Amino acid sequence: LTETIDVGLNLLDHQLLDSEGRRCGKVDDIALEGAPGEGLEVVAILCGPGVWRRRAGLIGRVAAWLGGGGRVRIPWDDVDEVGSHVKLRKRAQELGLGRGDDRLRPYIEKIPGSEH
Amino acid sequence: MKIFKVALGILAAIGGFVDIGDLVFNVAAGATFGYQLLWVVVIGVIGIIVYSEMCGRVAAVSGKAVFDAVRERVGFKAGLVALVSAQVVNLLTLTAEIGGVAICLQLLSGLPYRWLIVIAGLALTIVVWVVAFEWIERFFGYGGLCMLVFAVAAVKLHPSWGAVGQGFVPHMDTESPVLYAYFAVGLLGAAMTPYEVYFYSSGGVEERWGPKDLGLNRLNSMIGYGLGGLLSFALMIVGGALFLGEGIEPEFLGTIALGAEVPLGQIGLLLGLVGILFAVSGAAIDTLFSGAYNLAQFLGWEWGRYRHPRGAPRFTVTWFVLLVLALGVVMSGVDPVRLTEYAVIFSAVALPLTYIPIFLVANDRTYMREHTNGPIANALGIVYLVVITLIALSAVPLMILTNVGQN
Repeated sequence: LTETIDVGLNLLDHQLLDSEGRRCGKVDDIALEGAPGEGLEVVAILCGPGVWRRRAGLIGRVAAWLGGGGRVRIPWDDVDEVGSHVKLRKRAQELGLGRGDDRLRPYIEKIPGSEH
Repeated sequence: MKIFKVALGILAAIGGFVDIGDLVFNVAAGATFGYQLLWVVVIGVIGIIVYSEMCGRVAAVSGKAVFDAVRERVGFKAGLVALVSAQVVNLLTLTAEIGGVAICLQLLSGLPYRWLIVIAGLALTIVVWVVAFEWIERFFGYGGLCMLVFAVAAVKLHPSWGAVGQGFVPHMDTESPVLYAYFAVGLLGAAMTPYEVYFYSSGGVEERWGPKDLGLNRLNSMIGYGLGGLLSFALMIVGGALFLGEGIEPEFLGTIALGAEVPLGQIGLLLGLVGILFAVSGAAIDTLFSGAYNLAQFLGWEWGRYRHPRGAPRFTVTWFVLLVLALGVVMSGVDPVRLTEYAVIFSAVALPLTYIPIFLVANDRTYMREHTNGPIANALGIVYLVVITLIALSAVPLMILTNVGQN
């Protein structure tokens, strides 16, 4: 992925889908790199409640605290496609995404009827 | 066969249009102002048609539900404010609907109210857990069609049709314009309740609508909501014909069902109550899921009612927690009808936070390609943005001035 995109409109806050199409978070922030005078390059997607602090002042800090403050960095090389959603090359587990769902799943599975 | 399926969907939409907010505000408006406010219902129904069509189109073309679009378009911070207010309003609405379910069950069975709250909670949980979603929607939608008995009642009560006709022409003939304005805001808030579009757009994404479904979307929103609106007219006409000038305030859901008993007898009462029970239960399930949809979409969790619970654990836990919270509030003994008024008025306040981002996304070529708003959708869309901004600003002052519609 080397094209130029409007990161504010077409990347930030978009849905992340893992390599199996699972919804596994949002693009909460992005890491940019670039020397003065050169163009900026997206090097990673940042994801998780720990990132919200920077984005929404006081309510962001409250939300980050409620969410547990975790954060995940996804290197840009693991991004497969930026379209309507942001598709990743790896599975959510490998990237450390969607852990909340994974942690709850064993409990939900114990309830009869959770399969249909 | 396809036409048959579409017709079934539309029938369910008609039965599912009316919720406790519409019931309370339409009948109370009729009891207080006769047929004078019918024109406001027309405006509300056109509003929900315009915006549900827009949300459905965004879902079909971009695969994004309301809170995906809200966050992408207005960013994390403003989106979070929109989310929190939407969730508060949604929880209020859910609580009011569940209270309504318990009241209907009480009127039908005579058992103690608090037991029935627990039974209602258990029944809703089991239905949502066990029954396939398309059946839930149809079951409650078709059951809600029993409320058509109010349309029959409206005719049987022989209202003065001239006065009914005049009600569709905007005018104000009253000594209490503030109360009139309060009811107007309430009727608009009830008709355009935001949970309807959260639910509708999320359903579109789940059913994997694509551009080929745009015709179906237009049909669903125009005919489903349009005919559903007829039920609102019937409720207001019944309220006006039966209660106006009698000093009866329909403060109880039972009073509303009385509107079908007076002209049609026991069978009318029974159909009215059963219809209200189904409509309000269906609305409780819609609001329950809307709350879970909004949170999951904002945070990027896996979501969906067609996914089995193990496919979307946090979504599942969210709706369950919302249900428990709502049941707790109803158990505390608050009056569901009073709660309904607060829910409707606060949803009027939150309307712009939902509809402005949707309007922006529906005009955005990067999302919508050639399916952006046409001139009609844009003209109506802008008119309604002005309308909902006005009602959002005036809702709380009017509520305070009229002491929540008491004088």
